[in-house]
Amino acid sequence: MAEQTLSQLATIIRSKNAGPFRITFDILFTDPETYRQVRDSGAVSRRSVAHAYGIEESDISSLFHVDMANAVKVTLKRPRRQGSFGESDVYGCQQHVPLLSLPVPGV
Amino acid sequence: MTTPITVLTPTGTLGYGFGADALKRGMSLKPDVIAVDAGSTDPGPHYLGSGEPLVSRFSMEKELTQLIEAAHAANIPVIVGSAGGAGSKAHVDWTVAIVRNVLASLGLRKKVAWIYADMPKDLVKSAIRDGNVVDFEAGAPLTEEDVDASVTLVAQMGHEPICEALDAGAQIIICGRACDDTTIAAYPIWKGADVGLSIHMGKILECGAFSAEPFAMDVMLGRVDDDGFVLEPGSLERRASIRSVAAHSLYERENPFIQGGPGHELDLSDCAFKAVGDRQVRVSGAKAKATKNYFIKLEGARLMGYRSICVAGVRCPTMIERLDELLEGVKERAHAYFAPQTIQAHFHVHGRDGVMQRWEPRRNELAREIGLTIDVVADNAELAHAACHQISGALLHLHYPGIFNTSGNLAFLYSPSEIDAGRVYDFSAYHLMKVDSPTALFPIHYEEI
Repeated sequence: MAEQTLSQLATIIRSKNAGPFRITFDILFTDPETYRQVRDSGAVSRRSVAHAYGIEESDISSLFHVDMANAVKVTLKRPRRQGSFGESDVYGCQQHVPLLSLPVPGV
Repeated sequence: MTTPITVLTPTGTLGYGFGADALKRGMSLKPDVIAVDAGSTDPGPHYLGSGEPLVSRFSMEKELTQLIEAAHAANIPVIVGSAGGAGSKAHVDWTVAIVRNVLASLGLRKKVAWIYADMPKDLVKSAIRDGNVVDFEAGAPLTEEDVDASVTLVAQMGHEPICEALDAGAQIIICGRACDDTTIAAYPIWKGADVGLSIHMGKILECGAFSAEPFAMDVMLGRVDDDGFVLEPGSLERRASIRSVAAHSLYERENPFIQGGPGHELDLSDCAFKAVGDRQVRVSGAKAKATKNYFIKLEGARLMGYRSICVAGVRCPTMIERLDELLEGVKERAHAYFAPQTIQAHFHVHGRDGVMQRWEPRRNELAREIGLTIDVVADNAELAHAACHQISGALLHLHYPGIFNTSGNLAFLYSPSEIDAGRVYDFSAYHLMKVDSPTALFPIHYEEI
């Protein structure tokens, strides 16, 4: 099977503040089977996310597989406190793009 | 078996609108209370710091009129959480003044309660000294200097102060900063519904019909019973689906399984979603556990300075290809020019990495066109303006190797090229404070209006 990107498999990929110090990413799948395959492929990992954003794994606050919602959830530490000097995205809602092209092997 | 309690939440943020037909249909389902959230930290520190309301007086008056009228007809209470956007005293007073106008124009008399959530600085400093303030996510402890520097300091109340106002027979309750979900959960809890289920329902309802599809700022209802709760949008144009509800239960929060709140921790690990007909979803499994100590979350804002900005386009490739070095040079010279006064200057380079900054994986691609925002903050407005103008002028007529166009390389959008943006605030506190009582720090005022 050819390699696909996360945007070809997920239905929703979004980012949003979770308080002033975190940005949380939700990757949601419609089909439970696709979700399980992506989950088990390990394509969305601390390592792959850190690579996609050019950050350290220690900047990733948490990563959860949420079976009840067919979702993968990743939360990053905000590079700066929300609204502090130099802020570029007050709601943190345009930070999801590197996830769209994350490669997912073998689904 | 307790009687099921139905909560109608008209929208995700009061003042952002809802459908009149959706409200009408929602009211036909005989809710026991209208409860709605009016703010959060999400719009940033400005509203907390300045006391300016998040939404316009027009919107607030229009929507409160619709809700108070509907609640009066059904003889049910109205609860508004985090009034005004940040729930500070200025925001509560602003909202209560609007409630007065609305009641007068509708010719109604109601028992109104308003609950302040502002924290006295001395009390917070003493809590710091006693080791009762702990870091939540800020990465640093709260200091007494932070508290002194704050212009506004509030804390998120739990459901208890709202229940106290309900005990006193209040028909309209305007809350200062309140945990979003407890605003919605307070009434069912007061009526004896399960705390965990009520708070979980509150978490989903607090965004209105964002948990429905198609999503919108619109009416959503939840009915909680002994074993779970059922969600349904007010408008027949929308439906709640397992997907929409499950997706929403992840929204804007980090941990999907364990979520802390004032005095409790909610365990969502055993949650289950079940479709009921075409438009409803039943949710079960949330369990609340009281925490050993009762913590409330502090939110503070301090004045950072005064802002002036300049927005301009850059189209010439000779400038775009060496932009960083040119911007850094201009900034350095501005710092030196205004010394010993200090300024903060930042360049937002849209078209390259203006949105994602350090996280932008493609920042090295050469852009055809750049949207440049020169952002300056200083201790006073005059200095901010002067520095912004000095920087934009220097950049406009900057000479650099390889230059073709010697008549100016910034396409200004406006004349004047600088815009003064006024006071700028920064979050100064986002910490947890241990308290002895869930209600003592949230004084309630009552008045027949």
